Amino acid sequence: MTDMTEALRMALLRANPDLSRFDPLPRIISHDDFSRGHCGWSQLVGNYEDSLDTMLDGYSRYTSAMLSTLPHWDAGSHGGMDSSYALKIATRATPGAQNVAIKRHTFRRRGPIRFEMYFTFKPEATELVLSETDVRSVGFLFDLQGGDRDAGTDRVMPHLRFLNALDGAHVQKWQYKPETIPFVAVNGSSKIASHYHLSPKGWQDLPGGEQKLCYNEIPTKVNWTYLRFDFDLDSMQALAFQCNDREFDLSGFEPIRIPGMKNLWCMLNFCLFAETDVAKRAFFYVDSVCISGDF
Amino acid sequence: MLPENITAILTRNETWSGAAASEPCECGWAREAVLYIRALKEPIGPQPKARIEMSPDGIHWLPEGTDFAMPTGKDALAMARIRHFGNFLRVAADFAEGSSCTVLATLHLKA
Repeated sequence: MTDMTEALRMALLRANPDLSRFDPLPRIISHDDFSRGHCGWSQLVGNYEDSLDTMLDGYSRYTSAMLSTLPHWDAGSHGGMDSSYALKIATRATPGAQNVAIKRHTFRRRGPIRFEMYFTFKPEATELVLSETDVRSVGFLFDLQGGDRDAGTDRVMPHLRFLNALDGAHVQKWQYKPETIPFVAVNGSSKIASHYHLSPKGWQDLPGGEQKLCYNEIPTKVNWTYLRFDFDLDSMQALAFQCNDREFDLSGFEPIRIPGMKNLWCMLNFCLFAETDVAKRAFFYVDSVCISGDF
Repeated sequence: MLPENITAILTRNETWSGAAASEPCECGWAREAVLYIRALKEPIGPQPKARIEMSPDGIHWLPEGTDFAMPTGKDALAMARIRHFGNFLRVAADFAEGSSCTVLATLHLKA
């Protein structure tokens, strides 16, 4: 790309109110502002065969993400950054409950990709107290696998979560997950297996990953937070991670790596997840997402 | 632009007994909804009426006014049409002692 081309691209991006708050790589794969629906963020469903009873317990309690105006009983709708709507991922009101929304793509070239979003989180405002330790975590993961002609193809799953609180302690740090738990055959099937990669086990502290985010003064005030994660689909290594004014050193970061699976070629999946620490729903709100690539 | 049209899974493969309810669904963007309940297994015991509930905040709930008989056989469907519901919907039912139903509750929303 010539300097002039890049200068023109940047000028167009910065003059576009929908994209100016992002720093996308040259090709925008998707731009979701949730004023045009769910934009492909659907419920993650666990694998099963013959009966839904064969689904792993962790997946069986997930529900659909919603389009939300962030409505609060005391202050009304908060709204998104420049529309009324954001995506809401809500857990159930059970300590440790999780929920996940997923966007499923495939890729056409192995190279750098960039995931950017504006997000916030709050517990359901069922009590008139600050509730800052009620949401356990919010996070994201990618689920990736190379093409069918690539050599040595692993399934690679970078995970990052903001561990806000754990067992009532206000932890506030980023964690990654380098290993999953073993696969199990679903219902004894030779074709379908499953693994619960969001089990509570295996999270590691990101070195230097302590961060205090803006958590406004009652449970019904929210502020949007910027996040960026860069990943190289060629080397299958993380490149950069930024949250608001902080850029984190990823030299200690490792994604989950497991042997490639026979059906998942060129898979490019993105997941957003939330966990609650208490018997209260945790809400993970996403104003907008921009996924881009250098191709 | 085509109007929004979303299928949301409220409850999947959960066995309802006693005082049961789906998770709340925030859906104020929708003008109309259809809720289906399918019995995924043979229901046990007498089956109650289910009722649609609405809420100002997703926390406090009132009957919306629509009720309907729960399905009485495996894979049988029950259905309710809903309009003018504000921002939150759920479905609830009260089962007598010893009665239960394993349900798939889906909400079909249209702007």
